[in-house]
Amino acid sequence: MKPDTDTPSGGGDALARDLHWRRYRFPDALYGYGAWIVVLSFLAFSVQYLEIPLGRIPDMFARMGAVLATRYYPPDLEYILDRDYMDYVVETIQMAYLGTLFGLLLSVPLGWFGAWNMTPSRRYVYPVARLVTMGFRAVHEMIFAILFVSILGYGMLAGVLALTFFCAGFAGKLFAEEIEAIDMGPVEAMRATGANLFQVMAFGVMPQVRVAFTGIGIYTWDVAFRAATVVGFVGAGGMGWYLKRNVLQIETERVAAILLSIVVLVLISEAVSAIARDRVMKMR
Amino acid sequence: MSRPLAAGSGAVALGVDAQFAQRRRRHGVQFAAFLAVMVLVAWSVEVTIIEDTDWERMGSPAQVLESAGRFARVDWALFPDLLEPALETFMIACLGTLLGALICIPVAWFGAMNITPFKPVTYPLARLLMTLSRSIHEIVWALFFVAVVGLGAMAGIFALAVRSVGFIAKMTSEAIEDIKPGPVEAIRAVGGNGFQVMLYAILPQVLPQILSVVVFEWEINIRRSAVLGLVGAGGLGLVFFRQMNTFNFPGVTAVLLAILAIILIGELVSHFARKSVI
Repeated sequence: MKPDTDTPSGGGDALARDLHWRRYRFPDALYGYGAWIVVLSFLAFSVQYLEIPLGRIPDMFARMGAVLATRYYPPDLEYILDRDYMDYVVETIQMAYLGTLFGLLLSVPLGWFGAWNMTPSRRYVYPVARLVTMGFRAVHEMIFAILFVSILGYGMLAGVLALTFFCAGFAGKLFAEEIEAIDMGPVEAMRATGANLFQVMAFGVMPQVRVAFTGIGIYTWDVAFRAATVVGFVGAGGMGWYLKRNVLQIETERVAAILLSIVVLVLISEAVSAIARDRVMKMR
Repeated sequence: MSRPLAAGSGAVALGVDAQFAQRRRRHGVQFAAFLAVMVLVAWSVEVTIIEDTDWERMGSPAQVLESAGRFARVDWALFPDLLEPALETFMIACLGTLLGALICIPVAWFGAMNITPFKPVTYPLARLLMTLSRSIHEIVWALFFVAVVGLGAMAGIFALAVRSVGFIAKMTSEAIEDIKPGPVEAIRAVGGNGFQVMLYAILPQVLPQILSVVVFEWEINIRRSAVLGLVGAGGLGLVFFRQMNTFNFPGVTAVLLAILAIILIGELVSHFARKSVI
């Protein structure tokens, strides 16, 4: 945004010029408003292309309430308090736990190689690490789960691997950003005393990022747990399998009960992780 | 030479013997914790991976590699059929983010401690809605909306909207809580009502953050809308599902490449948007 004052070149010119104040002058106005017009017209085109019945939306909300009240209530609580289902719940938690653990282990080197300041080779290692991290992040965890189920068969190995790669990408990017934000002083000091790459990482970088890493780890577990509850939907183990079965059998009251159990579990895990993160923040 | 000092003083004030004892104790506790974690991991691995996996069906590592290698080829002939679903997926993400941003206006208003209208009721309600929206996976939301509004793009849009509300509203309410009170006082002083305060004092301060959060969530929604098709919400997910079911593994790889392509487009657009807006 250039200010509206130009170099004065005589009183006569100022009077002749337009004295109306505008916030955006050409060409910034063109880009700004042009971008808005493009975005809004694309959205309008989308509504038309997808044949979205805008007029029916209020009816849909009314119907949503009716469906919820009649078919999804009361939830079949006996179904989820069953021993078999509880076993699946425990297995889901274990799957999430393992997936997060292995994913974090994998994401430490990914984050290190993907950090511009600490990567061993900016030319070769850095782009590869960044590309791998982006690739892991781009693929949805459900797609990973489907692929691994297809390669490895049903069961929790597929789920754990899917969560591992998902967490590796998720935490890897956060780790890399954290490492890029460190103070380079201790690193220089370590290098000056002749430390090799690993020693520089261990004594120069790790003490600075340790607390942030723990926080990122807890956040990753939080996100991974939500994903773990549904990877069973495609056969990768856990309570999602029950969800799929009951959805296909249109047992809506049981579906409601399973959804309730998922929500309760996620809320518990969020509370635990919030407490853990508070303790970590206090360590700072 | 240990001088007992008042409780709460640091370890430095203790004598050398007491320091060593404290250090040994701390190392003991840490080692015990590490051991407990290892046992937990071993037990979890045993229960989830070793017992639950069908090792016979998996076969040897060579067979696993061969299974993985089925995805190595790409079915190029599929690409012309992927353009329309890709566009549909992209549009579902855009509209879902838009609807989510619209829904989060009242939610963020209720969820910001400084401008919420009736704190004991509306603030916890908004926080609960945000947590609920973020706790339930988008697949679950999609299942719910498919049951309610039927198969197709509508279910996907609603699912993404409801899923995004949590994050956008949380960030927006935090931004609103961080505003400077000066402009709000100024607008009130010249006689502005609540709406004008919102429009002229609060909105200009938080708009860059809101836009940045919306663009960030839009990128994530592109990723999500690709899998919503798996449960019937349309787009590339449906094609993915069909290709998997007909065991056309090169086709599956083609769909994956298409998904990566639209995610890349999303990243490019968000990169330029970020540079110009923020």
